[in-house]
Amino acid sequence: MIQFDFSTIAFFVFAVLTLGGALGVVTNRNLFRGTIWLMVSLFGVAGLYVLLSAPFLAAVQVLVYIGAIAILFTFAVMLTRSLTRLNVRYTRLWPSALGAVLLFAMLVIGVIWPVFGGNELYNQPISDVVRTTTDLGVALVSGEGYVLPFEVASILLTGAMIGAIVIARDADEEEMEQ
Amino acid sequence: MFESPTLQTLTDYNIWIALPAIALAFGTMFLLVIDVFLPANRKHWTPILALVGIGISFLINLFTYNPEQTSTFGGMFVADAFTGFLNIVVLITAFISVLLSTDYLRRTETNHGEYYILLLLSATGAMFMVGANDLIVIFIGLELLSIPLYILSAFRVTYTDDRDATFVLKSEESGMKYFILGAFSSAFLVYGSALLFGATGTTNLREIFAAVGPILESSAENSGALLLLIGAALSLVGLGFKIAAVPFHMWTPDVYEGAPTPITAYMSVAAKVGGFAALFRLMIVGLSGLTLDAGVDPAAWQGTIQVIAAVTLILGNFVALSQTNIKRMLAYSSIAHAGYILMAVAAVGSAGLVPDIANTAAQAGLVYLLAYAFTNLGAFAVVLALENNDGTGTELSDFNGLYNSRPMLALAMALFMFSLTGIPLTAGFMGKWLVFSAAVQAGLIPLTIIGVLTSVISAFYYVRVIVNMFLLTEDEGSPAVGETAPVRYAVYASMAGVLIVGIAVPLVTNLVNMVSLV
Repeated sequence: MIQFDFSTIAFFVFAVLTLGGALGVVTNRNLFRGTIWLMVSLFGVAGLYVLLSAPFLAAVQVLVYIGAIAILFTFAVMLTRSLTRLNVRYTRLWPSALGAVLLFAMLVIGVIWPVFGGNELYNQPISDVVRTTTDLGVALVSGEGYVLPFEVASILLTGAMIGAIVIARDADEEEMEQ
Repeated sequence: MFESPTLQTLTDYNIWIALPAIALAFGTMFLLVIDVFLPANRKHWTPILALVGIGISFLINLFTYNPEQTSTFGGMFVADAFTGFLNIVVLITAFISVLLSTDYLRRTETNHGEYYILLLLSATGAMFMVGANDLIVIFIGLELLSIPLYILSAFRVTYTDDRDATFVLKSEESGMKYFILGAFSSAFLVYGSALLFGATGTTNLREIFAAVGPILESSAENSGALLLLIGAALSLVGLGFKIAAVPFHMWTPDVYEGAPTPITAYMSVAAKVGGFAALFRLMIVGLSGLTLDAGVDPAAWQGTIQVIAAVTLILGNFVALSQTNIKRMLAYSSIAHAGYILMAVAAVGSAGLVPDIANTAAQAGLVYLLAYAFTNLGAFAVVLALENNDGTGTELSDFNGLYNSRPMLALAMALFMFSLTGIPLTAGFMGKWLVFSAAVQAGLIPLTIIGVLTSVISAFYYVRVIVNMFLLTEDEGSPAVGETAPVRYAVYASMAGVLIVGIAVPLVTNLVNMVSLV
């Protein structure tokens, strides 16, 4: 059933990255290193998206999760320095294990079970659902698509940025400039 | 793949009908760049350029004022008499607010160019919102209208060393409250839009209207009708917050009191114009067919809006009676006026029963918004003239004997108070007359009676201001430190507007009669 071609090898590489990264997050006692392991795991997920012919989702995964959220974690950890040398040990293992098993069981029942139920949705060839990036790009700039909300949103972001600067800036800085 | 759009296809897309809003957006971005390069001793050019930008957009709007409904951006933006008329209201509001701001910012030491840019951005959002024919554009326009307002409400916090002064803390509280509650209410609007999209499969209001009928007919076996109802209710909550309808009004008095007074004047009008434009479009164009028994029952949302309008009228007017601060009093008065305009929205619900009621009610709502804009801007202009630099001078007692020290301001304020009450020959009377007659035509007699009774009650607190100004003659009267030339022009412009709408009625009704949404 499993053919050992390029995509299979890539799948195993990404699967190892995803699971290994996740294992690194939960086993590491240093929060900063945990964050790095989280990035590895998220990168593996992005690779899996590429294999599933969803390159746009993969790009968003890299931009949003690795680019923004993981960086945010890093900043939070670095700003609260004492957390990086945390020595308190979380001892109540049994409730956590029970929660993990329950979550895993729910995922198995919800995601994997229908695949074997003969559901039509899961029998589609992957090649039919490509071109997401092209479609999104056309929809965003086409005159019949979403070009108006797209452009107005850019003005909105400019306004929000001006506002953030206005609110955050101190009177002293202004005087120093002049 | 796809063809890259050439200039030819761009003109085919008809985008010039959105030109007033696009021109203002362009002008704002232009001003943002210019303001950076203006030397410190030339900063007084920023408000002048802002006024020029508003004026250009106003002229373009007059030239493109087109009663025929045309749409662009794939039906997302429509230009008709409704859009054109409300664009005029928004631009007049922005113009008068800039006039009010110049000297106020200088004397309160908050004179920074970003203020005018944020104000114009907010006006741009309102203009995109009044032309929006799509749930997505309504939402984005609403955010572009609101986010600059959150910042402007807190503008006295910026660049100040004196962070513990009362007026700074109040401004901070104002911005924070408005932001948190505003973000919360936007989430309601988005959720409601998502449910409407889920039920109908489209975000375009016309297509939603077309989809509503089949959904209701087949609602026995699916839950589409329920989704529509919940979606409409959640959208109503989101927009109800923006227009300050009870029970979503809690933020209004605190925000109005703490914000810089020109911003209070601006947002008391602009936020309502945007909110009501979206509400009228959503209810008339999108959901007027949402009835449980077509031809027999009014629209399913009519009862809810009637109750909200009644509660808004009663609470707004009664709580205003007990206020001692004029800004808080005008805040409750603005809640009450939202109730009167909601009467017009409620009247739209009878569209399936009474012929042409939707257009009559929409026209009444538009005239009310214009009358309210002039009157409220004028009243806040007088308040601003009396306000001291530290935010005091806005108590009702500060108006005592104003006729002695500033007879012109006292006369103007009296005119605005009469107009807010709805005395004949003022703009407020025209608005109330049209709204009440639309409600009667729609058969909403109990609501109309509540409207008339609460108008009588409102006379009490409006006339009290007049009594303070004219009859308490032993007081010296406020020195009115803020009465400078631009503020005086703003007061005169508002007075002229109030009188023109109140006396030269055909001028306004001719503009409004072209409005036809269905």
